[in-house]
Amino acid sequence: MASTTTSKSKTALGAVVAIALGIAVVAGVGVELHAHSFLNAPTETATINGTITAPDGKSYPHAFITDGVFAAAADSKAHGNCENCDGGHPSWPSYGPYTKFILPAHAYVTVTLHVYDGGEKLNNPYFANVVGTIGGTMNVDGKDVASLAPDGVQHTFTIHGLPTETQDPLFVNIPLPKTGDGQQDEPGSPLPKGHTVTFSFITGGKGNYVWNCEYPCGDTTYQGFGAVMGSQGFMSGKVTVL
Amino acid sequence: MAHHDDQDLLPTPGQRVGTFLKRKDVSQTFVLGIFFTAVFVVLGLWVYPHWMPNVMSKEMQGNEDIMIWFTVISAPIAGVVLAIAMESFINMHRGDTPPPEDGPGIKTHGPVVVIWSAVSVLFTIVAIVWGITEMNTWSSDALAGSNNALVVDVTGSQWNWSFNYPAQGITSHELNLPINQPVEFRVISADVNHSFWPVQLGVKVDANRLSTTIARTTPDKLGVFDVKCAELCGLNHAYMETSGHVESVADFNSWVSQAKATGGTQQ
Amino acid sequence: MTTLSHKPASARPIPNPERSLITRLNMGSGTVVGILFAVITYYLLRHHFGSPWRVNHGMDMTNTHFVNVTILCTMFAWSFGFLVGIGALIGPFRWLIGKDLTAEEQLYLAGDGQGIKRYFKYCTDHKVVGIQYLVGVMTLLGVGGTMAMMIRTNLVTPGSHFVAPVVYNSLVGLHGITMIIAMIIVSTGPFGNYIMPIMIGAADMAFPRLNALSWWVLFTAIPVLCSAWFLGGIPTGWTAYAPLSDQAGPGMNAFLATIIIFAVSTAVAGMNITTTVVAMRAKGMKWNRVPIFVVGATISVALAIPAFPTFMVAMIQTGLDRTISTGFYDANVGGSGWLYANLFWIMGHPEVYVILIPGVAALMEIAPVFVRKPLFSYGAAIAGFAGIAGLSVLVWAHHMYMSGWMPSLNGPFMITTEFISVPTGLLFLVLVGTLWRGKPWMKMPMLSVYAFIWDFLIGGITGIYLSDVPADNYLHGSMFVTAHFHYTLMGAALTGAIGALAFWFPKMTGRMLNDRASYISFWLIQIGFNVLFLGMFMAGAAGQPRRVADYAQAFAHANLISTIGAYSVGLGMIVLLWAIIHSWRSGIIAPMNPWGSKTLEWTVPYPVPLVNFDEPPVVTSDPYNYGRSAK
Repeated sequence: MASTTTSKSKTALGAVVAIALGIAVVAGVGVELHAHSFLNAPTETATINGTITAPDGKSYPHAFITDGVFAAAADSKAHGNCENCDGGHPSWPSYGPYTKFILPAHAYVTVTLHVYDGGEKLNNPYFANVVGTIGGTMNVDGKDVASLAPDGVQHTFTIHGLPTETQDPLFVNIPLPKTGDGQQDEPGSPLPKGHTVTFSFITGGKGNYVWNCEYPCGDTTYQGFGAVMGSQGFMSGKVTVL
Repeated sequence: MAHHDDQDLLPTPGQRVGTFLKRKDVSQTFVLGIFFTAVFVVLGLWVYPHWMPNVMSKEMQGNEDIMIWFTVISAPIAGVVLAIAMESFINMHRGDTPPPEDGPGIKTHGPVVVIWSAVSVLFTIVAIVWGITEMNTWSSDALAGSNNALVVDVTGSQWNWSFNYPAQGITSHELNLPINQPVEFRVISADVNHSFWPVQLGVKVDANRLSTTIARTTPDKLGVFDVKCAELCGLNHAYMETSGHVESVADFNSWVSQAKATGGTQQ
Repeated sequence: MTTLSHKPASARPIPNPERSLITRLNMGSGTVVGILFAVITYYLLRHHFGSPWRVNHGMDMTNTHFVNVTILCTMFAWSFGFLVGIGALIGPFRWLIGKDLTAEEQLYLAGDGQGIKRYFKYCTDHKVVGIQYLVGVMTLLGVGGTMAMMIRTNLVTPGSHFVAPVVYNSLVGLHGITMIIAMIIVSTGPFGNYIMPIMIGAADMAFPRLNALSWWVLFTAIPVLCSAWFLGGIPTGWTAYAPLSDQAGPGMNAFLATIIIFAVSTAVAGMNITTTVVAMRAKGMKWNRVPIFVVGATISVALAIPAFPTFMVAMIQTGLDRTISTGFYDANVGGSGWLYANLFWIMGHPEVYVILIPGVAALMEIAPVFVRKPLFSYGAAIAGFAGIAGLSVLVWAHHMYMSGWMPSLNGPFMITTEFISVPTGLLFLVLVGTLWRGKPWMKMPMLSVYAFIWDFLIGGITGIYLSDVPADNYLHGSMFVTAHFHYTLMGAALTGAIGALAFWFPKMTGRMLNDRASYISFWLIQIGFNVLFLGMFMAGAAGQPRRVADYAQAFAHANLISTIGAYSVGLGMIVLLWAIIHSWRSGIIAPMNPWGSKTLEWTVPYPVPLVNFDEPPVVTSDPYNYGRSAK
């Protein structure tokens, strides 16, 4: 059965169309996955306010970040304002309202976290130490501390990244003190009495880093690192130094 | 059609090797064999030293050597196989109609099967002996160094490494080591399986929950090395990396003192 | 036991559609009943335990274990319900009440006179099951391949942010398990079912109803596997290592259920194939005259039968950990992740040979035909397959050299692992011996033989490095391992399957696979494949770990090369898919024996009659007696 020239070119056209369709399907899947990759996390860009002289004698622009940690995602406002959080997990603890931070390079960054969750024991007591900050300390409600008791931690803010030749290393670990039992923040507020934790560190050059919490708050999962800990946008995020 | 050597794969007794080799397909295959063997030898000698990172211990050197020399040793096998395949490929019958006649009816050739198997077994034994010897060297090195080994407790957590130097009384997030000092890594996990991999030091061992595993090496070159996690451990597995530095004893001691001065942990 | 009639189609009574339930059941009724069972189970458990959504999303952070119970039971209910709805249980039920199926009903079940509808029913004809497997395999390859494109796109540059790490990890794990399942059945499913019974001169398989069962059980696993994406994905690789699998979210249940269901399917299929080959060979087909593909497929499934149950057990134990806190793998309560690793790899290593052997055996079937020479040393081929299968159960802990489980056993496992290269070498000998002094007819099936030789050579040599314990200190858990096993599983097994498809396409569809499109796809795939995985060797040798969503700048070059190669493979696969579909619908009509092969399947016309042969054939020689002076 010989093909005529017309049917040969029809076949070729059919092939091209079918192949283009196949490529379109795969590309479509890619677009979907990309869209569901939580790439537009609520982001805070540090505000720069004046300069400051660091203990090394040099002067840096002073950048500020403020964020919070809450026992329930609904309180964090990182996942929208709705009642059941739009398919999210309102009962999961969460940082908020921001989980992605943009910091200036070669700057003295001061971070203030308002934290409102209870806590227990860390899996790895190393993360009860303050690491990577100016002076190796953080300020908790007005007092400077260098570490917490490993069973007094509610969450940690731990910045780290891939060692790679295109960026400076950045490692910061901040253990956040747990709230006491039964104390209210303000009369009528659903939140327990929280703490204010402030710490500072100096950024290097441009780079991409991640942060995640090292406290096991994924209740009922193995070693507490499942559920909320293994999901995007609650207890982990990104730090970009520009 | 006289085909007195039709079914000969090897020269028959009495036939000179020269006549066999002069047969066109044999000589072409032979040349192709030399070519492919050479390709694999060159690949082995050039590719791995180029691709693999800095060698900073005897163990790492041993690993690189194995990659290089196992390739070189396999080269003749690759050469023979590829040569025969290429020779037949060149002689292809093209077209929509089947070939007009069959090829030679060679069903088997006992000596070839035996020789092939024997060579296989020989290569296998060489590889085994090499491997066992290397393992024994590592063990005895480790044993020799164990008395004055620097102990580092390595803890893998989801998704960071932390290090504890019990003798020095400090903890850190980077793995600094003094040069030419045997080190014993005692590795454990705080949660799921991780794998402790100080890349340029050539050793690796998994981190398991509540079971300490051991890796030993002696860094013998100054410089920076990578510490990576080599076992998928969840969300930020890709970012579970940190750096290590092999430094002079003096530099190491001053690093330890600095850590002690800042509350016992490296800042 | 009733036998099938040999009367011509026109004289056979067509079963009255009003009379029997059997005639109304099909994939649609199966789906309806499956969904019904799933929904009932879900709501029953939800009533008992509380809504999984509420547990996960609500204000009450109670037990994730309840979520796992609900999801697992719902999935098994779907699978069982589907089988009920498609009529898989009618036969056993009738036997139970003492009224076996009538001859008429058995003929109906064999798809007699039903045209294309029989592909959507519980049809016992092995040829129908073979086509169903072919479509199923192609679907799995399409899904898995799409995931591969996503993976490589994410790795095109460091920090690409194409997908989030949680999505990437799911892609890696689900791509892996989809492809592993696809590769296990890629040759034995379509060709082991369609071709193999005809090849041995049988009218059907030993257990035709179980044959249909094995396919439809597998079918029910496909939506279960895909549901993982809607349940949050999985954080593990396809190896589902514990205790990360214990820690994982709801999506992990989809993985567990898929494997448990799949293990049933392969056990049934394996038993069927083995029994068929042992008991139903044609008169005169002594063991030294059995076509090598049949031998390979049988050895492969015979190896699978003891191996896959340990996978099932490992998954059941993971499921128990996740539902009733048994703690098999939880060190906090006395369990151990090493228990999982041992159980898994006791399956995992034989499994790669289950994958490899049929692909190689198909190529050994192809080479003699196209080179017009006997298969070189049939005995060495058997020894190779048997040696590999036998040794493969003794090597599993080479996957655990670095686990710290039992360092004193690393040496012995290294020895057994290195020795596998001896029977593997025999496979090469058989192929190059067949090529020696031949003039190969260069068509698509033959091209695959050459691709295999190159791909498996690289795969084999890189396997030797990995089998060496000291070198594994460097290579374990790096991209080098990934490149190695893609060279063996994809470069050998998939290449073999594609060659087999091109070879048997005329007998399965009655048409010739379009040559030009096949060649284009062949070169796109093979060149792309080598670029893709040679680039990956580079990244692995340089120190890039595997299963990472992001990597350091030092690996950028190698990854870019890999991704470019991947796109070529993807394009080649789409071209191949087009070629298959186009040729199936309007390809050149094939003659009865287009390749001049001497095996029995080429002695029957297309469409192949229901019982394959009018007269049971008698075999007088092996099928490889080509040659100008064959002995």
